[in-house]
Amino acid sequence: MERLRKSCSFITDDHRYVFLGTSFVAAIGIWFSMQRRSAMSFLRGAYAFEVALYWFLMGWLALSAVALVLKLMHWKDYAKRSPFCKKPLVTVVRWLSYGVWAATAVLFVDRAVMGFLSVTSTALTQDKNPSGFLSSIVYMVDKSHDIIMQGVLTTVGLSVFGTLIAFFLAILLVFLRIQEVDRSDNDAVRFFKKAGVLFAKVYSTVVRGTPMMVQGMLIYFTGFGLLKGTGMTVSEIGTIWSTFIAGLVTISLNSTAYMMEVLRGGIESVDPGQNEAARSLGLSQWQAMIKVVFPQGIKNAIPALSNELVVNIKDSSVLSVIGVFDLMFATKTVVGIYFKQVEMYAVAAVVYLCLTMVASWLLGRFAKRLSVEPAPLLSTSDGSATVGTVAGTGSSSESLDAKKRPKRRSSRDAR
Amino acid sequence: MQGNVVEPLIRVEGLSKSFGSHLVLKDIDFAVNPGEVVTIIGASGSGKSTLLRCMNLLETPDSGHIWFHGEDLAADRVNINRLREKIGMVFQSFNLFNNMNVLDNCTLAPVTLKKMGKAEAEVEARRNLEAVGLSDFINAPSTSLSGGQKQRVAIARALCMKPDLMLFDEPTSALDPEIVGEVLNVMRDLAAEGMTMVVVTHEMAFAKNVSDKVVFMDQGVIAEESAPTEMFTNPKLPRTREFLARYLED
Repeated sequence: MERLRKSCSFITDDHRYVFLGTSFVAAIGIWFSMQRRSAMSFLRGAYAFEVALYWFLMGWLALSAVALVLKLMHWKDYAKRSPFCKKPLVTVVRWLSYGVWAATAVLFVDRAVMGFLSVTSTALTQDKNPSGFLSSIVYMVDKSHDIIMQGVLTTVGLSVFGTLIAFFLAILLVFLRIQEVDRSDNDAVRFFKKAGVLFAKVYSTVVRGTPMMVQGMLIYFTGFGLLKGTGMTVSEIGTIWSTFIAGLVTISLNSTAYMMEVLRGGIESVDPGQNEAARSLGLSQWQAMIKVVFPQGIKNAIPALSNELVVNIKDSSVLSVIGVFDLMFATKTVVGIYFKQVEMYAVAAVVYLCLTMVASWLLGRFAKRLSVEPAPLLSTSDGSATVGTVAGTGSSSESLDAKKRPKRRSSRDAR
Repeated sequence: MQGNVVEPLIRVEGLSKSFGSHLVLKDIDFAVNPGEVVTIIGASGSGKSTLLRCMNLLETPDSGHIWFHGEDLAADRVNINRLREKIGMVFQSFNLFNNMNVLDNCTLAPVTLKKMGKAEAEVEARRNLEAVGLSDFINAPSTSLSGGQKQRVAIARALCMKPDLMLFDEPTSALDPEIVGEVLNVMRDLAAEGMTMVVVTHEMAFAKNVSDKVVFMDQGVIAEESAPTEMFTNPKLPRTREFLARYLED
């Protein structure tokens, strides 16, 4: 409601610098009007109207130039001297500026939207790959949409299930990692605790220190070799150790290491006093962890944990080397058919971007629901960079909000 | 054992503790009798808090013994968790469990450790919360309370384990002066009920009026140990006199 009121007052207010923005808008409109009309252009039949739009926009540019000269002449007392800041003219100029937006919008729809539709409709009826960049993309996506769709589904499946599996494995692993020897532990417990910590450390170091592409190769061919050793044929192996399963195992095991570090960061950012208070009541290390520290730590870690999904959507692309039919593999397949590399990889980039943005948006809403600060939209793949921000969430968000709030420019009172 | 000699509840013997090369506690000997209220005073960095935290092994001493219920807390591989159940601790920064409400803060340890039913633990928790004047806040999230309320919940939480000994680590230092009173009143009531307490504090009025014994620590040793009237009227050492200058009566 507040936002609505604000935008309403923005529209009705008089703006001293109205020419600054709208002259750019007018220039864009003029540029559109200079473009070739497509077959579906609706201004094709209304030539006089288009000319009128053109000269209206040109006139606006001229008016802006006059206002600019006035501003340069009266830099300090422009508000007092310029006729554009006086009552009847300033209102007229405001309403004319909405006309500029409207004219540009009409030209945009006619040239850009209708142009795209016209390219699309012609490309869809071709029986040979057209040479234009856009029409070629439309043609290829239309012809091979089932391949691309399968790729998208595989990518989403790999990253979503991989992240979920990794999340549960990471919880198990982080409990191994954060163990500390307690005074009351006997020798056996001490040994197992130390062994668990060592295992988690080594796992994390090895997995985070090697590329996922290499891990995928190792896991796929190791599994393949082991099954081959039991005397199975290649086609039998393919049914149980498919490239998808191998890819899922790879992405889960890889992500586990990163998520474990994220969780550890979250747990370590919990005030040590919480643990001390629990221990002082007589709770064991394990009880204090489960009941007090971990529930707070995982809440700290949720933003960075949800980033892992975004990272996995992107990083699953390297699994195409073992033959997982993900979006990357699908794109390569289509490229192999048409030999249009730039066009298809541009499509892949756009689809990946859409997937990550949707994932990021959904996870942001999820984080808000759990009343924790959501992660920045589209994180980096560097886990440690996001863990660091976990501790000081509260205050930083407030200052960000203050910066984002737009300043209202009103011309009524000249300073 | 002779009838009139009281066995101390907790006895610290030759306790030393260092952080790195810095020796914080130097060969401390110190005992608290049942029902006694002992306050530990001294300048910052004199080792008061470290001594208190050693008494329930939140800090591991380098050498020495801490005798409690016939067991040496400082011995290797002692079941410290079981002994800590009998020693309540109240912290300067309250340390209420942020992920729980007030009631769960109080019932967590009894339910987990004493295999007490949830209902039974709740009755006990309600009784203790009422005693500290917070029965209206039972279902409030612990993060929503004010500092004074948090500290009173922390005291109630410790009492729910029915400890033999309560340790207070500067319980009022994080509170603003107006609220200090409400916490001190709770502690005063507790002392009057006969609870054995060791209190590290900068509240000299409390040390003077409530405690049975005042311990002055300086540079990791117990410099002076006497009854409060003695300590606040006629301290023996020049260092104690200097420290207490503002509080001494002419």
